[in-house]
Amino acid sequence: MSGALKRFRVMAIIAGVMSLLLWFVDLPVVYLFNNEDWKSMVAWIPFVHGWIYAAYVLTALQFATKARWSIKKTVWLILAGTLPIASFAAERRVVRQYS
Amino acid sequence: MTQKTSFLTKLGQIVGVLLVTALFVSLGLWQLQRAADLKESLKVATAVDTNMVPLESITSPRQAIPPSALNRTVSITGKYIANFKAANQKDGNGIIQDWESALLQVGDSSAILVVRGLWSERLLNPNVQQSMDIQVEGLLVASQDGDRAANAPGEISRLDSAVVVSLTDLDLFDGYVVATSEATRTASLERTRVVPEKLQSRISGFYWQHLSYVVIWWLMAAVVVFLPFYRRRVST
Repeated sequence: MSGALKRFRVMAIIAGVMSLLLWFVDLPVVYLFNNEDWKSMVAWIPFVHGWIYAAYVLTALQFATKARWSIKKTVWLILAGTLPIASFAAERRVVRQYS
Repeated sequence: MTQKTSFLTKLGQIVGVLLVTALFVSLGLWQLQRAADLKESLKVATAVDTNMVPLESITSPRQAIPPSALNRTVSITGKYIANFKAANQKDGNGIIQDWESALLQVGDSSAILVVRGLWSERLLNPNVQQSMDIQVEGLLVASQDGDRAANAPGEISRLDSAVVVSLTDLDLFDGYVVATSEATRTASLERTRVVPEKLQSRISGFYWQHLSYVVIWWLMAAVVVFLPFYRRRVST
């Protein structure tokens, strides 16, 4: 359980940082600015975010299964990784409850 | 009754797992198709056909340029009727310079934009007059879709017939020609020619990026199938 919790915490923080980069760096550059150089500079963000999120989902599923969470609660934990700050909030909540 | 409820719950769970798995597998297949489309579009965009054809045989004025006409080597004969500075143009080697573009009247009623060379060399051929017939050979490429500079008198913001449409009554061809040679009846016009910028695919992202998304979606599908067994193992 503690191993699953640690893995989830690490991935929640990394996924939160990647979500912030995606929402506040990549999306504005792609949709608000017409600058091809900037676009090519941020092209790695959605790609890395995709993989980080997949890893976050795996750790969230493992943690939720071991904590015997309901499917509804597990789905909320998975969705928390898609929004900036939400995964940080989920991580804090889980730490308060299980540490 | 309890057994029936338990059976229905299990059946619902199995159907749910199968539906989510099918969704993830479909999303993976969709990304696989996008990767194949991207590869195909890049093949079209980078292939240059060096067989010379008359411009009017592969495209027509007032029509979107057909994909089969892109990157074809064309020959055109006409008269230059206007010159424009196309500022901040990046060539195939990544060098940004100001280019000289001109509107070439083809026949009586149509015209096309031609990139003649560098703006700094625009005075190299003072003997070329607007009444002269010029034979141009070059590469036909798609119009640019992003401004490189501001529109100003004598300047165009991008190489696109849409930005000069208000300056002429002639029917304009879509796309533009990057000249590789120009000649009058008596002599060829020597000047530095520009190398066209590499065309980019209209499908966003990269080939390997789409392939990696295929892996992610199919990994998620496998996780959905495995998860009920994992939950059962943990609970026992």
